[in-house]
Amino acid sequence: MTAYVIRRVLWVIPVLWAVATITFLLMHAVPGGPFTQDKSLPPAVNEALERRYHFDEPLWQQYGHYLINLTKGDLGLSVSNNQEVSEVVRRTFFVTAQLGLLSLLVAVIVGMTLGTVAALNHNGPFDYIGVGFATIGASVPNFILGAFISIVFAVQLGWFKLQGWGGPLEWGDVFDTGAYHWDKVVLPVVALSALPASYIARVTRASVLEVLNQDYIRTARAKGLRETTVVLRHTIKNALIPVLTVVGPLAAALVTGSFIIERMFSIPGLGLETIRAVLARDYNTIMGTTLVFTLVISIANLLVDLAYAAVDPRIRYR
Amino acid sequence: MSVRSRWFLLFTGLLSALLVIAAACGGGTSSSDKTKTASAGGGKTPAATSAGGDQAPADQQKITIQFAEPQFYDPHKSNFEQDIGVERMLFRGLYNLTDDGSGGVKVVAEGAAGDPTVNGNVLTIKLNPNAKWSDGQPVKAADYVYGIQRECDATVASPYQYVLGAGLGEVKNCDEAFNNKVPVTEVGVRAVDDTTLEITLNKPVQTIKTILALWAAFPARKDVIEKFGDNWTQPGNIVVNGPFTMKELVPKDHVTLVPNPNWYGKKPALQQITIKFIDDLSAAYRQFQTGELMATQINATDVATAKGDSTLKDAVTVVPSGRITSVEVQMKDPVLSNFNVRLALSRAVDRKALVDAVYDGIHAPATYWVVKGIKGFQGNEPFEGKIGFNLDAAKKALADAGYPNGQGLPTLKFTTRDSPQRRAEAEYLQKVWKDNLGVNIQPEFVDSKTRSARFNSGDFQLFPGGWQLDYPDIENPLKGLFDTGGGNNKYNCSDPEIDAAFQEAANATSDDARIKAYQKVETLVVTKLCGVIPLYQDSQTYLVSPKLGGVVPNGTIDAGLPGTYAVENWFVKKS
Amino acid sequence: MTTQETLITPADGALFEAEPRLGRQRGLWSDAWRRLIRNRLALAAMAILAVIVFLSFIGTTYGPTARFEPNDQQPAIKFQGPSAEHWFGTDNLGRDLFARVLEGVRISIQIGLGTQALVLVIGLAIGAGAALGGKLSDNLLMRFTDIMYAFPDLLAIILVRSILVGRDIPVLTNPKVIVIMAIAFVNWTTIARLVRGQMLSLAERDYVLAARALGANRWRIVYTHMLPNTLGPVIVALTFGIPFAIFAEAALSFVGVGTPPPAISLGILVSTGYDVVQRNAWNVVFPAGAVALLMLCFTFLGDGLRDALDPRTR
Repeated sequence: MTAYVIRRVLWVIPVLWAVATITFLLMHAVPGGPFTQDKSLPPAVNEALERRYHFDEPLWQQYGHYLINLTKGDLGLSVSNNQEVSEVVRRTFFVTAQLGLLSLLVAVIVGMTLGTVAALNHNGPFDYIGVGFATIGASVPNFILGAFISIVFAVQLGWFKLQGWGGPLEWGDVFDTGAYHWDKVVLPVVALSALPASYIARVTRASVLEVLNQDYIRTARAKGLRETTVVLRHTIKNALIPVLTVVGPLAAALVTGSFIIERMFSIPGLGLETIRAVLARDYNTIMGTTLVFTLVISIANLLVDLAYAAVDPRIRYR
Repeated sequence: MSVRSRWFLLFTGLLSALLVIAAACGGGTSSSDKTKTASAGGGKTPAATSAGGDQAPADQQKITIQFAEPQFYDPHKSNFEQDIGVERMLFRGLYNLTDDGSGGVKVVAEGAAGDPTVNGNVLTIKLNPNAKWSDGQPVKAADYVYGIQRECDATVASPYQYVLGAGLGEVKNCDEAFNNKVPVTEVGVRAVDDTTLEITLNKPVQTIKTILALWAAFPARKDVIEKFGDNWTQPGNIVVNGPFTMKELVPKDHVTLVPNPNWYGKKPALQQITIKFIDDLSAAYRQFQTGELMATQINATDVATAKGDSTLKDAVTVVPSGRITSVEVQMKDPVLSNFNVRLALSRAVDRKALVDAVYDGIHAPATYWVVKGIKGFQGNEPFEGKIGFNLDAAKKALADAGYPNGQGLPTLKFTTRDSPQRRAEAEYLQKVWKDNLGVNIQPEFVDSKTRSARFNSGDFQLFPGGWQLDYPDIENPLKGLFDTGGGNNKYNCSDPEIDAAFQEAANATSDDARIKAYQKVETLVVTKLCGVIPLYQDSQTYLVSPKLGGVVPNGTIDAGLPGTYAVENWFVKKS
Repeated sequence: MTTQETLITPADGALFEAEPRLGRQRGLWSDAWRRLIRNRLALAAMAILAVIVFLSFIGTTYGPTARFEPNDQQPAIKFQGPSAEHWFGTDNLGRDLFARVLEGVRISIQIGLGTQALVLVIGLAIGAGAALGGKLSDNLLMRFTDIMYAFPDLLAIILVRSILVGRDIPVLTNPKVIVIMAIAFVNWTTIARLVRGQMLSLAERDYVLAARALGANRWRIVYTHMLPNTLGPVIVALTFGIPFAIFAEAALSFVGVGTPPPAISLGILVSTGYDVVQRNAWNVVFPAGAVALLMLCFTFLGDGLRDALDPRTR
């Protein structure tokens, strides 16, 4: 098992390298560069700018420089405003991680509760309500949901705020109670967690239903165990496995795909920064954000596989 | 009760509890926030506003406004309008452009004590002895020298250096220093003493006060920049000479400004300005509605909605801007080089109908090129009859060009940015040209950088674009755009008559003669449709809370943030 | 028709050509079909989809649904709400929203199907290549798949799209092709993994081993034995991939990097509608509703297919 974990962790490095290379090539194949704009810059300015960021060197040389700097932890300077990319990425990732993890937590709790209740009430009213909610959540695009709950709950009812992230923006603010504004957190998290919650609800419901029909449940009931024990100890634990399958990709998707919500609620996150960088051809930032995303996805997959093994005693990794 | 029902009760109980908590928390904080924000603004209930209403107490003089994130806070590196709008609040130059009370522009002395004394090509400017930096040091002539030298310095690579160079500012040796021909110390600016600045030009420049009011000529502190390098604009390091200074900067999120204690001008009433960086104007509109913003840009399509909303209609602010939108035409293209084809395209468009359909009539239809508000503005009258809407004339022109009813005319490419407004505009024009002329255009929607790359390489046929004024003078939208070989002449307009008119302007000895010559340039360009087909003059659209007083937007000066040239006049009204 | 289990006796190689094999195949699919129809939700989904497809492909030209052209601008009546004349109201240039949504549905379905067709080809090729090509190709291809799987989807799509837009290559002039290629670029990894997994496990099954022992041609084995049994889960995955593609297209268009206009896709309609949501909310409600309906139907259909084709519940 340890060998497996170590192998998986080590495997992340070549994956990062491959992704960095592919991104580098794709990035330079896109027309327009970071300094392209309607009013043409005087050639002297262009040259000075390119020299500052090493963009005047041949591609393979830039690539080499980049890899060497990468090993030192230096992601370069953002072409748009001269800030350190590692600094920008660190800060924006901190915010996006909060949003993503919170949404994941809400999605798992709400989803599993909904799914379990629906399954326990199979073909009853709660089942249909639960499935109804789940299907709506799964089919309405999150930005539409975000726009509508903004209008209804913030503008018209005034219950929540729309602007910015309601949590600490930097590590140093984590213990500053003034940095937490729950009324800003609710709407973006709801909008973002609707889709994952629905998937989790459906999967939970299906797997709980399947588990409930198993012989060992009948045995447990026949033994006279309380229903609570039956549900909690036996059913849910076994139903977790398919849920875990779904949670992995969902977690990665949440953390990396939140840019629409970030844009709509003016949250300074990594998703938004990535889009901005691509549209502005900010090469260094594009590379930085891609690497972070890849790292997150790889780690999420690894954690899910490990959780798998923890929950299902039949699974053994070699 | 059965086990199952127990579960449902538990579930519903939990759910309701959660909802109640959420509503309470949200409702709770927002209701306590409401009292604070209500007095600090928000579009919910507009108070009865009297002109120059009383100011709210100091602890309520805090506002949050929307803007796009500046790329740089260093005036000598800035290129985009969002930088300049914010920089005007932090720095001031020798002169300042302000509203003249009726929407026009006037130049007032700011860092300078008065007008420059002109002696041939040499200007002597006395400085305001009260001017101080935020750290208490006086603003010396040496600071202006350093600032202008920086602007002409190739290593700083300012995109606006050309404003001080040949044909415009004509500061001696600025271009030569920028092209690394002479050291930066040779630039024609020196400090006679601490309060006297001497600038040497290549030839007399009529508009020198306007040019010296631009951010390109802002002063700079050599000691601060040398000490902190590129980080000199961080809060804590930055030293400013304007009404506000930077207190906090969270990149991607917001910047907070507070009054500069050593500001020598009128003391600002506002104690804090938080500028939130928001790109989604639809979201900004909603944030204005919840009271989280006191001023914001909005989409042109939202103006009609806001006007129809009783809580917002007093906040709607529409100001003609310094921007002309046109369809730029590649003159080198074999089909478009034919004047009659261009004439047909121009005369087939009812500009008023276009503006009404796509923009609810917010922009002003234009057959002119120099915007309203500029001295020398000619307006639509001279040109409407020549290139304005006239279907018969359009059809005739196309037939004269050899393509009766569009037969034989190849499909023209129409390269534009992929945004909802540009899309609607393109679709409208496509239909108009198809229905009225039988001309087919193929819209090509690309992102901003791709579009710029195409423009710069001249790789386009029809290209919706335009010109945004850099400074309020008639030469700005003409010079470099329509002279043969001009730096911004990407559509290859090259006409000997136009070049001659430019020459006339360059040789003019009086301001009136200069303006007349440039008017001739405009007339020739527009009537010949040399590279451009003007469509409309843009208006800037904002929501500005009625609780915020002292904001006087001026379309020709403003760069996206309304009225920041006089931010020291802003205040929150008493509720 | 009943399912028949063909007994392959080692002595009788001719049985490979025998009818019963084909019969077994027909049994597999028709059996699945019957199970599918019995699933009420899936049936409803299929019915709705059929209506939608009919309306959006045929109904845009013939019949009462073809009353307005999607590009017919009438600025004087812009931003109207639903009425007897314009069932969904009008948009920002006075065009009939119903006609535009119908057109958008057609384009989105085409994009969904097109993406999955491309994904099928790529995924099948790589998955089968990995499973059947021996250890080395398996390793290489699977490592490649891992890398593509770890690649941030959105970024890759945006980059690919930016590269392809505006080029003068003939096949790319159709705007849908660009977004199809971009989405397929990131979406094939699931299918590849699925195909490989299925084929690897199938390769160990008794009847395949027997067939090989009999000396059957490798391609025949793949084609007649492995492929049909692989296709089940693959079809399910593809069916789930269609709503993903539709949703992805909508999200991309929202950011401005989706289907390049002048094509009208649901994504473009949603993104334009969002911009004017304060002005006339119907402009976003109807296209978003169409997206939701399509996603719902394909998801239920996928559920139904999975239950129908799942060998475990047989």
